[in-house]
Amino acid sequence: MSDDDFSRMMAALSAEFRQGLPGQMATVDRLWQRLSSGHTEAASMAELIRTLHTLAGSAGTFGLAEVGAAAAAAESGLETYREAGAVADEAGRAEISRVLEALRRAASA
Amino acid sequence: MPSASSILVSNEDVYILTFRGKNELQGGETGLSALALELLVLIDGKATVAQIRQRLKVAPDDVKVTQAIQELVLQGFADLSRNQLTQSPELIEFFSEKPAQPSDSALNQAKTEAESGITTLQQHGYYVRIAMRPAARRKPDGGEVILVVEDDPTLSKFLRQYLEIEGFVARTAANRNEILLGLRHQPPPDLVLLDVMLPDADGFNILMRMREHPQLKAVPVLMLTAKATRESVLKGLAGGANGYITKPFQPDSLITAVNTVLGIPKDLFGRGSRVE
Repeated sequence: MSDDDFSRMMAALSAEFRQGLPGQMATVDRLWQRLSSGHTEAASMAELIRTLHTLAGSAGTFGLAEVGAAAAAAESGLETYREAGAVADEAGRAEISRVLEALRRAASA
Repeated sequence: MPSASSILVSNEDVYILTFRGKNELQGGETGLSALALELLVLIDGKATVAQIRQRLKVAPDDVKVTQAIQELVLQGFADLSRNQLTQSPELIEFFSEKPAQPSDSALNQAKTEAESGITTLQQHGYYVRIAMRPAARRKPDGGEVILVVEDDPTLSKFLRQYLEIEGFVARTAANRNEILLGLRHQPPPDLVLLDVMLPDADGFNILMRMREHPQLKAVPVLMLTAKATRESVLKGLAGGANGYITKPFQPDSLITAVNTVLGIPKDLFGRGSRVE
C-alpha cells in the first residue's frame, strides 16, 4: 500500500467520522441535560461516559486531537460520579459543564 | 487450517446448512457417511444439538455425533446459527458479570513488564505501547485472522481495512453476540484486538473468560482501548493480554504490535512495510 493510498483511506474515514460527530455530540448533550439537574440516572451516566470514552479513543486517531482530549477530560470528570449515577453537587456540575463546553467548541471547529 | 477437534460443539448449539450443505443433500451422490448425511437432514436452524442427539437416540455426550458435526463444519457443510447466540447458556456464562480479578502474582508480573515498557513508550512519545509478548504460535503463513472488537463503527471500519491491506483477514465485532460468534467462527482468530468499554460487555471480563477457556486461552489478545490509566494497563496485562495499546494510536504502532505478538518478522509477506 502506498502512502497516497493510505492517506486517501484515512481522509475518507476521517470525513466519515466528522460527519458522525454532530450525532455523537447530540447524544452527549441529551444525556448531560438529563444528568445536569442532579437527578440520579445510572443508565444515562453510564451511557454518557461510554459515549465520551468512544469519542476520546477515536477522535485522535482521525486527526481531531482536541476533540479527543476534551472528551477524555469530560469522561475523567464524570468517572468520579459513575457510582453515584448523578452529579449532585453544584460545583461538580459547573466543572463538567465547562469541560463539555470545551468539547463542543472543539467539535464544531 | 483448523482441526476438527478445535471446533467447539455444545448441546445448546443450533446449526444451519450452508449452501454447500444444501447442495450435498440435493445432489445425486455423496461421499459423506450415513451419520453425516443424517445430520444434514436434521440440521434445520432450529433444533439444538441436544435435540438432534435425542432424535438420533444417542447419549447427550456421544462423541461420534460431536465429531461428525465438527467435520461438517470444517468441510463447510454446516455452520453455527447466528440466531441461537442470544440466549445461549454458553454466552451467558462467557459474559458472566463475575468480576475479573487477576491474581497477585499476575499483577506483580504485569507491574514489572509495565515499568520496563513505560520507558519504551516514553522514548517513542506514545502514552502506552508496552509489554508485547510474542505468543507461542505456529510459523506464520500469511492471512492470519484477526478479530477486531470495536464498537465505534468508523474506527472498526478503519481497523478492518488497514489490517486487510496489511495482509490479514479481519473480522469485526461490536457487541457480545458478535464477539462470541467471532470467537467461534472457523477458522478461529489468530489474534483478538480487544476494546474494553463496549455497549454490553467489558473487555477485561472477556479477556479473563478467554484465558479460562480451554480452546481460547492460547489466542493472543491485544488490548486496544482509550482506558489509559496505569491501573487499567496493569489489569489488562495481569489478565493475560499480550499487549496493551491506548487510543488514539499510530497505525504503524498497531501493525508493529500485531506483528510482534503474532511473531511475524518485519516485511515478511510484504507486511509491516509501513513500519519504520
